[in-house]
Amino acid sequence: MRASKNIYLFLVPGFILYSIFFLYPTVSAFFYSFTDWDGISSEFDFVGVDNYIRAATNDSIFAQAVGNNLSFMLFVVIFQTIFSLIFAIILIKNTKFNIFLRALFFFPTILSSVSVAFIWSFIYDPSMGLLNTFLGISGLEALQQNWLGNQNIAIYSLAFTQVWFHTGQMLIIFVAGLHAIPNDLYEVAKIEGASKWQTFKKITWPLLAPSATIVVAYTTIQSFKAFDLIFATTRGGPNHSTEIIATYIYEVAFRSYNFGYASSISVIFMVIIAIITYLQFKVLRSDKVSY
Amino acid sequence: MIFRRFAVLIYALLVIIPITMVILTSMKTMSETFENPLGLPGEGVNIANYIDIFRSETMLGYFINSSVVTLASVSFTLMFAAMIAFAITRLTNWIGTIVFLLFTLGMMVPAQVNMVPLYNVVLQLGLTNSLLGLILVNISVTMPVAVFILTGFMKTLPKELFEASTIDGAGEWKMFTSVVIPLSLPSLSATAIFLFVMHWNDLLYPLLFITDNNYKTLPLALLEFQGQYATNYPMLFTGVMIASAPMVLAYIFLQRYFVAGMTAGAVKG
Amino acid sequence: MKKSLFLSFGTAISMTILLSACAGDQGGGDASGSNDDTNNSGGNAEASEDQTQISFIHWRGEDTEVFDEIIEEFESENPDIAVEMNVYPSEQYQSNAQQMLRDGSVGDVFTSFPGSQFEVIRDAGFFADLTDEEFVSNFNAEAIEIGQADGQQLAVPYQLVFNMPVYNVDMFEELGIEPPQSWDEFIEMGATLQENDIQPIAFPGGDIGPNQFMNSMMMNNAPDEDIFAKLESGEESLTNDWWVSTLEDFQTLLDEGMISEDSLGIQQDSAIASVAQEEAAMLATGSYHMASLKEQNSELNLDFLPPITVSEDEAQYEGIHTATFMLAVNENSEKQEEAKQFIEYLSQPEVASKYANETGQHLTIEDVEYTSEELQDTAYWLTDKETRFQPRFFITNSSVENAVLSSIEQVLGGDSPQDAAEQAQQVVEENIE
Repeated sequence: MRASKNIYLFLVPGFILYSIFFLYPTVSAFFYSFTDWDGISSEFDFVGVDNYIRAATNDSIFAQAVGNNLSFMLFVVIFQTIFSLIFAIILIKNTKFNIFLRALFFFPTILSSVSVAFIWSFIYDPSMGLLNTFLGISGLEALQQNWLGNQNIAIYSLAFTQVWFHTGQMLIIFVAGLHAIPNDLYEVAKIEGASKWQTFKKITWPLLAPSATIVVAYTTIQSFKAFDLIFATTRGGPNHSTEIIATYIYEVAFRSYNFGYASSISVIFMVIIAIITYLQFKVLRSDKVSY
Repeated sequence: MIFRRFAVLIYALLVIIPITMVILTSMKTMSETFENPLGLPGEGVNIANYIDIFRSETMLGYFINSSVVTLASVSFTLMFAAMIAFAITRLTNWIGTIVFLLFTLGMMVPAQVNMVPLYNVVLQLGLTNSLLGLILVNISVTMPVAVFILTGFMKTLPKELFEASTIDGAGEWKMFTSVVIPLSLPSLSATAIFLFVMHWNDLLYPLLFITDNNYKTLPLALLEFQGQYATNYPMLFTGVMIASAPMVLAYIFLQRYFVAGMTAGAVKG
Repeated sequence: MKKSLFLSFGTAISMTILLSACAGDQGGGDASGSNDDTNNSGGNAEASEDQTQISFIHWRGEDTEVFDEIIEEFESENPDIAVEMNVYPSEQYQSNAQQMLRDGSVGDVFTSFPGSQFEVIRDAGFFADLTDEEFVSNFNAEAIEIGQADGQQLAVPYQLVFNMPVYNVDMFEELGIEPPQSWDEFIEMGATLQENDIQPIAFPGGDIGPNQFMNSMMMNNAPDEDIFAKLESGEESLTNDWWVSTLEDFQTLLDEGMISEDSLGIQQDSAIASVAQEEAAMLATGSYHMASLKEQNSELNLDFLPPITVSEDEAQYEGIHTATFMLAVNENSEKQEEAKQFIEYLSQPEVASKYANETGQHLTIEDVEYTSEELQDTAYWLTDKETRFQPRFFITNSSVENAVLSSIEQVLGGDSPQDAAEQAQQVVEENIE
């Protein structure tokens, strides 16, 4: 069952576009990471690995951004995956009501990030926002917070917004994955008198591994690239407490006009994501089952 | 059972309440928004803002531009990505792995990084201020995600399927169109929805490449409600509602295919 | 199954092609005067051959309407020139404008912020020299100095903004409060307001608050105009008294409850609302918000009230101004003459007066007639008061600027001024050569 040579033709159209509009610019960015280019002038000098040394040893805000980004990622990956998996299992049957709810949960995803940012700035506003008003009415004043202004919690407020934003999307992947599991397996399990939990553990979870890999990997990458949302809500503030790597790259490249240095941070950024994604693949693929 | 209903209900409220807020705000005036942020609009159901937006003759043009760009970008991304995902699935040698890695890596590159070099490429090809330029860039930057998701699903297709059709003497193209594509419908439509959302809402590339009013897309138009020192929230939220409507339709349209994928029973290897 | 798939794919693609054709038509149809050399607008009867189209880009979404009118009048006076205006939000403008100016097809007339953006565009050589243009004499000579470099007039600022707190005059009169002239009086004023259940200062710490209010807070603590130049050259430090005492003043405002504890989560729109609803007495932003305040509450009577952070006799400066929205001509443009004609038009006193009164902005043009109430009421700040150019715009490195602003946010978040200053200084040192 080896593929015929013709199979390579399938790569051609996509690959041409990808090379011109993606690989080439990306490779150029890699090249610029060894220069001091400001992003505009026609001249620049090569500075070797200076930019990388600076990022690793002499940039306290970059270090802070990496830390923030990891907290943000952990929160989002854990809650988004759990929420979307639970809702996918609950809403798996194609009843009218479930289809409606899946559509409803998907709704936030179709909004643009900028709209989501506006909506949640409205909700989180400390004095007249929806959230604090609601807590006030329910007698939970003690829980009222300055959701985006408090340096210790702002990043988690944003992480929650991100979960709200994309859970519906991940829900769809899980639903598609669950629908791909053959029904007869469940029938057999039923006949053999397996409990719900046993069925989930022995059948659903192992066969859901490919979807789970996609969800976790994609969520991870999304949470590293949540630029629009964070930029439009807090711009990384207060005091860099919500600065993530992507917002910092933007600041360095387009506000400080230090394109060379921004490129080197981006290369480091890609390496970080690649490592994390690789580890996730290893963990999630270890219990892969074929049928 | 009770817990399930409760969890679903809570989350449903979490979605419904902010949406209601958007709808209510879109019916308010600017000063009402701040005097009475959570209340009902003073004039009841008031669609003045919606009429205002549609009165401006340019809005229809933006709408058409957005539709063209989104439809073309989604269709071609999906087609090219499905072909590549199929090739990756079929190729058992190192080339398949390399191709897969190359595209996976593509997902990790932050858009801010290649923005400047990409701008140079588009400029040199004379593709600024053109819908075609926007479409080509869109296809290229979203292909990695699509390849990633589709490959994940195609890998779960039973190998016997490929064997069976090889014995039948069917070529790769036939196998792709008559076996793989129909079986991948649920994942194809899930991916299509992702792409729809991404392309429809994309702001970065139109912002970079389009300056001619004739080629502007909706997200760019929405920005006009945002001033340097004051944001017109009612108008902005009206714009959000209008811009979201086609996505709701696209979702409802594509949703049928998840259901189809289930009932067709084709996936039962 | 298969059929329906191809059907939908086919429909999608053919619809695309169809719509592309429509959109193309529409694009060509009203591309009047678009001077790109593609001839897809063929068949269009509009005479566009002898018309030159210039592109004008800026970041003032609020001004779109007025500019549309002004452009229309300009075009009827100069039938051979068409102006296409593109407006970007100021954030995007700061990051994208330089890229777009590179090839000269966009932004024949463009605008620039003073400070770091001006420096970068100058470095890249995108400013055409305006020194010898006649229209330069229409501007106030002192106000446009900020647009000069190396003896050349590279850009002419159009707007004159007062970046200092706005206050509710009637409220002060009702409560019998005199505008404070010293720091002690300022604190006392805050106490009186709070006794009357009024928040003294609405401070939008979530967005522009720190970068606006820092100017008047430091104007008398660091009267040296070169202080930020010295900071960037390593001669000065944020841990020195001028900045630490400014941070301490911020802390005092926080401790005394004059700025609310929540301020870091407050955005400008909600700060405006609380002043318009008379829940707060002062808005710590600037003159550009007066129009919004009036729009939400037309009965407000407004003036400026910058904090004097020293004793009355030590105060050198009474307020802050900025000449901004700097008009410039793109050096890479092939239509520089037409571009200059447009700037010339904007600098005519009648045109400028129209712009000023409809947007509620003071301008740098001489002989502008301010007819709107809030502009008239505050015009004395242009002539009778000792104001100082916004110090923040003398920071040319945006990482340094961020460090300075972060230290304010840190203090408002509860940290000690000394710690905040030290951390900020560390970031400054990481970012200067």
